[in-house]
Amino acid sequence: MILTLNPKILYFSKAHHLQSPLSRPYPYFYRPRNISLITNCNLQKPQDGNKSNRSITKTISLSDSAPPVTEETNGDVSGSADRSGGNSGGGGKEGLGFLKRIPRKVLSVLSNLPLAITEMFTISALMALGTVIEQGETLDFYVQKYPEDNPVLGFFTWRWITTLGLDHMYSAPIFLGMLVLLGASLMACTYTTQIPLVKVARRWSFMKSDESIKKQDFADSLPRASVRDLGVILMGDGYEVFMKGPSLYAFKGLAGRYAPIGVHIAMLLIMVGGTLSATGSFRGSVTVPQGLNFVMGDVLSPIGFLSFPTDTFNAEVHVNRFTMDYYDSGEVSQFHSDLSLRDLNGKEVLRKTISVNDPLRYGGITIYQTDWSFSALQVTKDGEGPFNLAMAPLKINGDKKLYGTFLPVGDTNAPNVKGISMLARDLQSIVVYDLEGKFAGIRRPNSKLPIEIDGMKIVIEDAIGSTGLELKTDPGVPIVYAGFGALMLTTCISYLSHSQVWALQNGTTLVVGGRTNRAKNDFPDDMNRLLDQVPELIKTSVD
Amino acid sequence: MIFSILEHILTHISFSVVSIVLTIYFLTFLVNLDEIIGFFDSSDKGIIITFFCITGLLFTRWIYSGHFPLSNLYESLIFLSWAFSIIHIISYFNKKQKNHLNAITAPSAIFIQGFATSGLLNKMPQSAILVPALQSQWLMMHVSMMILGYGALLCGSLLSIALLVITFRKVGPTFWNKNIKTKNLLNEFFNFNILYYINERNSILLQQNINFSFSRNYYRYQLIEQLDYWSFRIISLGFIFLTVGILSGAVWANETWGSYWNWDPKETWAFITWTIFAIYLHIKTNRNVRGINSAIVASIGFLLIWICYFGVNLLGIGLHSYGSFTLN
Repeated sequence: MILTLNPKILYFSKAHHLQSPLSRPYPYFYRPRNISLITNCNLQKPQDGNKSNRSITKTISLSDSAPPVTEETNGDVSGSADRSGGNSGGGGKEGLGFLKRIPRKVLSVLSNLPLAITEMFTISALMALGTVIEQGETLDFYVQKYPEDNPVLGFFTWRWITTLGLDHMYSAPIFLGMLVLLGASLMACTYTTQIPLVKVARRWSFMKSDESIKKQDFADSLPRASVRDLGVILMGDGYEVFMKGPSLYAFKGLAGRYAPIGVHIAMLLIMVGGTLSATGSFRGSVTVPQGLNFVMGDVLSPIGFLSFPTDTFNAEVHVNRFTMDYYDSGEVSQFHSDLSLRDLNGKEVLRKTISVNDPLRYGGITIYQTDWSFSALQVTKDGEGPFNLAMAPLKINGDKKLYGTFLPVGDTNAPNVKGISMLARDLQSIVVYDLEGKFAGIRRPNSKLPIEIDGMKIVIEDAIGSTGLELKTDPGVPIVYAGFGALMLTTCISYLSHSQVWALQNGTTLVVGGRTNRAKNDFPDDMNRLLDQVPELIKTSVD
Repeated sequence: MIFSILEHILTHISFSVVSIVLTIYFLTFLVNLDEIIGFFDSSDKGIIITFFCITGLLFTRWIYSGHFPLSNLYESLIFLSWAFSIIHIISYFNKKQKNHLNAITAPSAIFIQGFATSGLLNKMPQSAILVPALQSQWLMMHVSMMILGYGALLCGSLLSIALLVITFRKVGPTFWNKNIKTKNLLNEFFNFNILYYINERNSILLQQNINFSFSRNYYRYQLIEQLDYWSFRIISLGFIFLTVGILSGAVWANETWGSYWNWDPKETWAFITWTIFAIYLHIKTNRNVRGINSAIVASIGFLLIWICYFGVNLLGIGLHSYGSFTLN
């Protein structure tokens, strides 16, 4: 990039050389800890030396590793953003090179902000629609709910739902297509708008004229002040300060400029991870009575075309014990399943008691405690037994479960066999009804307290529950979690403001200007506070 | 027993203090502001008292229920009210800049508390037991972040609604309708001065051409700028909380339900809210778009937060049905 300095600026640069003979031809730094920057400046040194000889034109090389010192001619950084956006092809050569082949027109259409906003609105509207329309029901349900002869809002019938796939909104082509489009927009925007902006922000630009400094959002001039004092004070406030002769450039919160890129990349990561989850997962759920076992591969079923089983699928899970904790009020507080994992040879490789919120993870497979059921009741009748009576779910209304079983009494081959009914809501207490169906009593398992019905002594020995387990493998989780972490971090950093300050010593007068991109209202106050600290010069330094 | 008495006392103190504060606010709107400037100051102290009362209330519930007091809607409403008071206090101590937040936070705090304590939600104030899925450390992070996010976003979008109201309100019949002749002149004058103001950013010059209508327009303009700025800053802050809240919820869901995203109605609506405020922030990055457009988006966001926070619970559907309630 070749910058031609116009005569006006030339005048100013000459003027400052005359005014401040002490100023060095190369920039120097207040912060020696910034080693990389110093080396960079040493590299620039010969170039700057040349510049003092022929200051009409100078060549500035754009390199990614070392941000060069440039001289802004018009002081409008955002103006030059477009310029460098135009010729930023050199910067995107690593990794993003394939994007170059995409026609520029497509890129500029995709990176269009109104388009991106429309996409976001559409996605929101579709998601909202997805919560309004019942998901995953049968066709008959929709035909009844959205009949053709009485359309909702005058036009909406079940045909819309089946055509657009609104009954499974979150996997419908229209929804996924919008997400893909949004992802493309994210990439295009990052490539064509954000990266060039950051490149401009990375360049330290000194301003060479009072006018350009005064054009900034905040501008002030101090009649008797030194640019070095200002530099020290800005440094004390956390600014990175660069000085060259009478010019000063300082910035703070550059991360605030980078962070929006990070937000976009994090969103893309989450999208990629989500896609991987949707195509490469296995899922399955199983209800296992205490004491039984199952092979994980039998339970897991593939979700997408990228789902490939691994060796761990052969492992066998044995449910050693299933217990429930209760509150004093009798409500369930927690479920526990004591699980053992055995490999093909029957050797135990892992044993863990899982509960809700505390799953078991082994070789990419996660086992969650999600549900429970009543498997069987162990009873003895007059010392005979124990009999294992299978419990059947009677009525499931929401989370309220009810199980029942029946112990036949007398001739089991008789046409109307009578017996003892037992009902239970949970594993804690069993309600027993006699042969006539009348309430006989409540017993707790393990209490060994017999209940006497028509001369029979019934002892409820044990209540055997079964644990409801959910198994899954999800290769997308690490990527999605990386995206989550990045998104949280970059969203927080995005709150920071990138503030830039320029100053120019003009005789004894110091012209200071600055701007910031977010905390615009606080910035003038902060600057005034800092400028108040700048000591007034009693004797002019340039005499 | 002693806990419930303490809780009652704290609820009543905070509620009555906020009512007094609100009355003071309305008084300062009606009566000349300069005469009762002390009143105005006392209202800030009132909010601080409220803040400590609600904090005490939440701690009391925490101690006697044994879990973080965010397990049902009543508790989350109290927490939202607490979030409003903390936003108020932050803006009170950050006195560098006068902002109009306190006019938003105090009424919001009282309305929410009034709603929470009213008979509308009977049965709710009892501290509920935690179902197995909620027994996790994530409860604290997820719910508190979500409620803080809701609080900040509600504040920010209310500021945007105020901006819209001020922008679209007729400037007052005093000089607009009296003589139409001067109307155009004033308009030009106003525009010119705004441009002048933008170019120079020097408020001193405004004192040179002081003029009733102009200064009024100028203050209106300045007020709109202030509202725009503060709603942007607070929505950005709320957006961070909302992001962290949603993501921690997703991580929690991956620990409990077996998937980080289930398209549960509450999740979906939180995501819709998030998207709307992302749109707001994107509109804000474009300098050419005036504040009105972003303010319209923020006011849509205001409605969405209520749908997400209340509407979904009212239906009692999905996995987030812990906070569901029935209107009696």
